[in-house]
Amino acid sequence: MPILEVERVSHWFGGLQALKDVSLYADREILGLIGPNGAGKTTLFNIISGFLTPTHGKVIYLGKPVQHLPPHQIVRLGIARTFQIVKPFANLTVEENVLAGIGMPYYAQFRGLVAPYRTTANVHTASHLLELTDLQNYRNAPANRLPIGIQRRVEIARALAIKPKLLLLDEPAAGLVAKETLELANLIKNLHQQGINIILIEHNMRFAMSLCQRIVVLAQGEIIAQGQPIEIQANEKVINAYLGQE
Amino acid sequence: MDFAQNLSNAIILGCTYLLMAAGLTMVYGVLKVLHIAHASVYTIGAFVGVLVYSWVGNFWLSLLIAMIFSGVFGILIYRFSYYYLLDVPRTVPLIASIGLFVMLTDLLQKPFLMGPYQRAFPAGGAGLPRIDTPWFSITSKQLLIFSVTIVLMVLVYLLLTRTRIGLGWQAASLDREMAAAVGINLNRIIALNFFIGSALAGAAGVLVGIYNNSVFATMGDLPSYKAFIIIVLGGMGSLPGAILASLLLAIVENFLVASIGYVLPRDSIAFLVLILMLMFRPHGLLGQE
Repeated sequence: MPILEVERVSHWFGGLQALKDVSLYADREILGLIGPNGAGKTTLFNIISGFLTPTHGKVIYLGKPVQHLPPHQIVRLGIARTFQIVKPFANLTVEENVLAGIGMPYYAQFRGLVAPYRTTANVHTASHLLELTDLQNYRNAPANRLPIGIQRRVEIARALAIKPKLLLLDEPAAGLVAKETLELANLIKNLHQQGINIILIEHNMRFAMSLCQRIVVLAQGEIIAQGQPIEIQANEKVINAYLGQE
Repeated sequence: MDFAQNLSNAIILGCTYLLMAAGLTMVYGVLKVLHIAHASVYTIGAFVGVLVYSWVGNFWLSLLIAMIFSGVFGILIYRFSYYYLLDVPRTVPLIASIGLFVMLTDLLQKPFLMGPYQRAFPAGGAGLPRIDTPWFSITSKQLLIFSVTIVLMVLVYLLLTRTRIGLGWQAASLDREMAAAVGINLNRIIALNFFIGSALAGAAGVLVGIYNNSVFATMGDLPSYKAFIIIVLGGMGSLPGAILASLLLAIVENFLVASIGYVLPRDSIAFLVLILMLMFRPHGLLGQE
């Protein structure tokens, strides 16, 4: 059974159809979601992570439909995400950003809400995550003062804090310089090896092709191709969609 | 002697402003709504306090019940108004809030609730002593206001800075969408925020009712404006700013009245300060530009 199945999902924004009958699955892999601007990639992420309820269709996670759950419940099931526009909690330090993500159960019950968040165990977990994402040196820096490449890592660290089984990365390489992109690719591979399944939206084709084991191509709300990176590169529909030819 | 006495009176006045403004600041922080109806909660707190006091005659019990009642009332205000207005421009909940405030004040004036009368709230200083020093005196009522405010503010401070819910509030006030993405149940966090902010307003109502030995349906009018001035002065949503602004405003009011007399009505001083502040430092004392 795949980890995540999207079954015939359609979504309308008023009179505009953003997704048309999209079906895909994600398994123990790094899955790439690519496509031109306005293809509906982020809309699909918003649906999977509960920020939008699809007009039609189902999202099945570990065998259970989740398309009607609100975001905070989806997160508790183990689906974490980052956003295309980096949004660390601006006034909080890097460590506090990660601490905010640690300890899902706290937010679910009243006793957890009044519990202190800076416990030894939580700080220990945070240190581990900061090390993993190479952020140790920025621990006490306010998140909004950092360069964008580091803010992206803060977002990933915070997403990892919820111990996800499935991690959705929305254009993680956007705005990064070559060296940072390379480090990011290594981090993503590392996370995958640790058993986290990843779906990533990417504009940077080379980045997506080198990293992903399988790729799904969306254009104008529809899936036009899916397969191995090599197949995708050779696919005529994909080339046309990207170059704007018919 | 006059100076010390004026200062101590000003600090007590500042405490009552502070309790009101703290709740308003918390609500503004998370929802970015100027919650005018907060002043209705203040009046309701005073009303419940005086009713319970007339039945049981115990100040602490009436304070506790008034705070719980106000807190629950605050949650109801959220659940039945702002909850539906989370994703619309912020002027919409502001207008809703003004409507709520006017409606609740009118409702409270109905004979079956508070009526048009003033009620006495003769709880005195709840048994606290009077303090006399060579420089100033603090009446037992003033000591009561001061100590209750300090205890409540310390509790709120600990809640905000040490606990999960405090972190959740900070996260939600910075970015609601992102807060949901780390698993924070926004509705619950916001409801608790309203509960605590409204309980503080209820406590302020009870304390001011006792201080003036008077509770009446329109007692929230002036605090509603003043609490606003305080959160603008303090820098929209900054709690330390609100604390500073509460004390400063009370000090300015007290000393101006004491030194130049009633050239200006006392309550207009706050507005003068507001206008000057908006002219010269529009982001407030501790707000961010």
